[in-house]
Amino acid sequence: MPVNKPSFSQERVLNRRRPALLAGCAAMVVLTVAGCGSGGGTGTTAKDGFTQVPQKDGALTVWVDATRLEAAKLYQKLHPDVKLDIVTYDGNANGSNYLQTKVQLFNRTGKGWPDVVFSSQNNEVTWAVDAGFAAPLNKGLIPEATLGQFANGANDVCTVNGTLYCLRNDLSQVVLWYNAPLMKKFGYTVPTTWEEYQRLGEKVAKEHPAYLVGDAGDSFTPEIYLWASKCGANDITGPKAVSVNTTSEACTKMAKLMDVLIKNKSMSISGVFSTDFAKAKADKVLLMPGPAWYGGAVFKSTLKTPAQQIAAAPIPQWKGDTAPSTGNVGGGTWLLSQHSAHIKAATDFLKWVTTDNAYQGEKAPGFPAHAPAAENWLKAQGSSGYFAGDLGALKDASSQVWPGWGSGQFSQEAIWAATVKPGMTQGKTIASLLPAWQDTIVKYAESNGYKVSQ
Amino acid sequence: MTLTRSLSGSAHRRRRGAGRQSRAGVAFVATYVLLLIAFGILPTGYAVYFAFTDAGGTFTGFSNFVTTARDFRFMDAVGHVAVYLVFWLVSLVVFVVGLALLLHRVASGTVSKALRFFYYIPGALAGAASVLVWLFMLDPTVSPVSSLLGTLGFDTFGEVVAPGNLALLFAIIAFWTGAGGWIVVMYGALNNIPKDVMEAAHIDGAGAWQTAWHVQIPMLRKWIVYMVILAFAGGAQLFVEPQLLALASVGVAGRDYSLNQLTYDFAFQMNNINGAAAVSVELLVVSVSAAALFVARSGFFDAD
Amino acid sequence: MSRAQHSASRRRRRPARYMSSRLLTGSALAVFVVFFVLPVLWLVLAATKTDQQLVHDSPLSFGSWHALKANWDALTAFQDNAIMLWLRNSALYAVVSLVITLCVSVPAGYALAMTEFRGRRTLLIATLVVMLMPNATLVVPLFLEINAVHLIGTMWSIILPYSFYPFGVYLTYIYFTTAVPKDLLAAARMDGCSEFGVFRLVALPLATPVIALVGFFSFVANWTNYFLPYVMLPESDQMPVQVGVGTLLSSVPSFNPTVGSLAIERPQLALATLVAITPVLIVFLFAQRFLVSGMLAGATKE
Repeated sequence: MPVNKPSFSQERVLNRRRPALLAGCAAMVVLTVAGCGSGGGTGTTAKDGFTQVPQKDGALTVWVDATRLEAAKLYQKLHPDVKLDIVTYDGNANGSNYLQTKVQLFNRTGKGWPDVVFSSQNNEVTWAVDAGFAAPLNKGLIPEATLGQFANGANDVCTVNGTLYCLRNDLSQVVLWYNAPLMKKFGYTVPTTWEEYQRLGEKVAKEHPAYLVGDAGDSFTPEIYLWASKCGANDITGPKAVSVNTTSEACTKMAKLMDVLIKNKSMSISGVFSTDFAKAKADKVLLMPGPAWYGGAVFKSTLKTPAQQIAAAPIPQWKGDTAPSTGNVGGGTWLLSQHSAHIKAATDFLKWVTTDNAYQGEKAPGFPAHAPAAENWLKAQGSSGYFAGDLGALKDASSQVWPGWGSGQFSQEAIWAATVKPGMTQGKTIASLLPAWQDTIVKYAESNGYKVSQ
Repeated sequence: MTLTRSLSGSAHRRRRGAGRQSRAGVAFVATYVLLLIAFGILPTGYAVYFAFTDAGGTFTGFSNFVTTARDFRFMDAVGHVAVYLVFWLVSLVVFVVGLALLLHRVASGTVSKALRFFYYIPGALAGAASVLVWLFMLDPTVSPVSSLLGTLGFDTFGEVVAPGNLALLFAIIAFWTGAGGWIVVMYGALNNIPKDVMEAAHIDGAGAWQTAWHVQIPMLRKWIVYMVILAFAGGAQLFVEPQLLALASVGVAGRDYSLNQLTYDFAFQMNNINGAAAVSVELLVVSVSAAALFVARSGFFDAD
Repeated sequence: MSRAQHSASRRRRRPARYMSSRLLTGSALAVFVVFFVLPVLWLVLAATKTDQQLVHDSPLSFGSWHALKANWDALTAFQDNAIMLWLRNSALYAVVSLVITLCVSVPAGYALAMTEFRGRRTLLIATLVVMLMPNATLVVPLFLEINAVHLIGTMWSIILPYSFYPFGVYLTYIYFTTAVPKDLLAAARMDGCSEFGVFRLVALPLATPVIALVGFFSFVANWTNYFLPYVMLPESDQMPVQVGVGTLLSSVPSFNPTVGSLAIERPQLALATLVAITPVLIVFLFAQRFLVSGMLAGATKE
């Protein structure tokens, strides 16, 4: 026994700590958890195309991502009488499924839903309608006149069987970004057809090697090039039906064009956000097909291209094509909860945040889906002095997004990244990877319960 | 006479002592049992119930197991996890025990303390916090070890995260974060080996290697078994590392790589909590079988 | 060869062998130091750079104090100093759970190791089994349970599940079975100690290393847990720092291209990461003092 006796100093430490520890433990035992009853309300009414719960006063709960926090705060400032509970979350970025997870849990417990939610994804209605979460908006809540002001096709991703379940926040229509002074210096003109674009790429490879006419290394690459080329890889034909054909001519001719330019290195395969791109290619961008948000997020913030260089032109078209078409990369949506007890306040907020000039027309980082706000936004961008020339091309492109490419529950970007990108890294051509791409899309679609036609 | 009386007396005392001990034992574990039921057994039981029912709560037998096993990603994921487990378990057992033994031979207390601290640091970097680190470590353009990556023949990030390298990469990442904690545990356990046992070995002329093999490792047995059980289960439930790399590579590598990722996908992307529960139960069965094997062979539950 | 000669030659050979084995030990330990520390060193240096420097400068170069200050300012400006709020939340959750965990696990592990009672084996097995359960599917039942007792939205919704720490029970269990002789307790009982007295006067003082170990691992587990608070807590001002770092990550354009212009840059994310791990490292250093101190110097077990 004596050998095992702890040393004096330890004994003292322990003695000092022991009473505290015991007291702490006792407090925990005493701690009881008082439940509070929640009165289950009845008396629902059918209105605006869905069953509404009894309306109550109280704070409006709004979920936004870090970027849209500014919008909610601005609303609070301009409407001091509205009680707003602003909650920030990751905006469902990177397929985090946060909103879906939470709604599933709330559906089980019967409470907790937010009144209005922003999501950085545009495929939320693929589950939010079945989950009984998203409220129909075109059955009385939002007047047709307002809905008519959104850019043509902007709210297609929100529509299920003719009913609108969300409002588009911003558009991400693809245009052809270019470096105006550099083009002038090299003596090139901006291509208007894909054929010209390819020839220019070949010319650049010879005359100014290392300069780039585009980038094909991102997960959203197919949404830039193949969507614009009307490739039917992702035609959502019904709520749970998709048509997939990646080997049609529309797909193969764009794939071949890209393969030529990738081979002669005038098209990069590193991805605009990769460190490789930032290090070696940031100042080599001559032309770059990309969505509306490239202007701010890529050129200004990531690549730090100086002001008065970047301009936007319409995306090239295939020769002989009459109807101009382009692609789209993302763009957020706003949803209103069916379970809201503050539908009036929620609708007011929703209308304001998607259409009002105070936010969409001036402060929003993305191109507003609401056309009048977009006009204002373009003016604000013009007066910011960053771009060389106006961004009119964005406005035209906003209504030219090809409608044959939808937003399914499965992520096209994830599929491309995991299937085609590794092959490209190994030096395979995109054209040779198209069948494998189709195969994977079909598997994912079926696994998500889609009926697939090929 | 005296002898027998004292014997029977002590036996009597022991019996009474055993009753007292048993009551005390129950009292000591009471609050723990409450928590165990509330946050361990109930949720696990609930999950098992999910695995055998459909969304409406009707009993469906093994249909959730069949449906999930038919998912096109399932068999790939099984293969991935199996390969990963080999890398992970071998590296963990060999290096953790090895490093703990080496550390134990370091004479200077300060040096040993500092080393354990250094080995532990990555343990604090969990989840989202280490995405940035690995993106830059594995990207030859900006990596501090780009020359090493170059020697191995990797020039771009895409080549580093090629499908064939993933199992090893995940084992390295998991080892980097997880090993330090176990090294601390093993080191503490080594310190608990009585000095006279070590001295006896020394007097018998045993070298460092022999002492380690014949004295120290056998005395670490319970700790090693515990580590292997948890490492096996943790490895079979591989989730964080591929998820992390998927974020860092924007989806190129690591998505839908492991079985546990599939359970998340089933539960929260496809709204199929029952399918997710089925895969979880399979993982549980595998882990428990492995654990049972180790427990049975090592006398892990013996109280002495 | 006489015995004396033999031992003399052994003594002569020894230093050389001793030196080379020390060298080997030293280099093996050093290689692993590099492996474990290099990425962290990079992270520390990353926080002192601008985003441009991070990509263009040498990976292990120091940026500037000015850039560090700027990163700090940008980080604290994110949602009006949200990072401090996250840290406070994390500390609250981690510390309260830690106290409950210690109060619960140490007696339980002790009883499982040192006393015989009915159901002991069952308890050991049940503990092990629930530890091996993958947690994706546990979230839904946990959420329903917490909801059933009306604790959603309170800090108890994560503190109570955190407090259940079977890993700690096992650590204590193994510690007592391998390091504390049963005779010692028997002796104390002979001296007339009550069972609680035996625990308090004999076992607890000997348990310092394992209390430190359980306390430390519990703290780290609570501090770094991401998924439970992510799912359980309804308000963003309740978020712990791990979820906060996740939010920051999704505000970095390279990880979330759709984020727009109000973005966080990578060096600021690095800085946030460092801030988030510092408490863990401090607690480690503090706990390490106790890990070795209460060892049974010279106690015989067999």
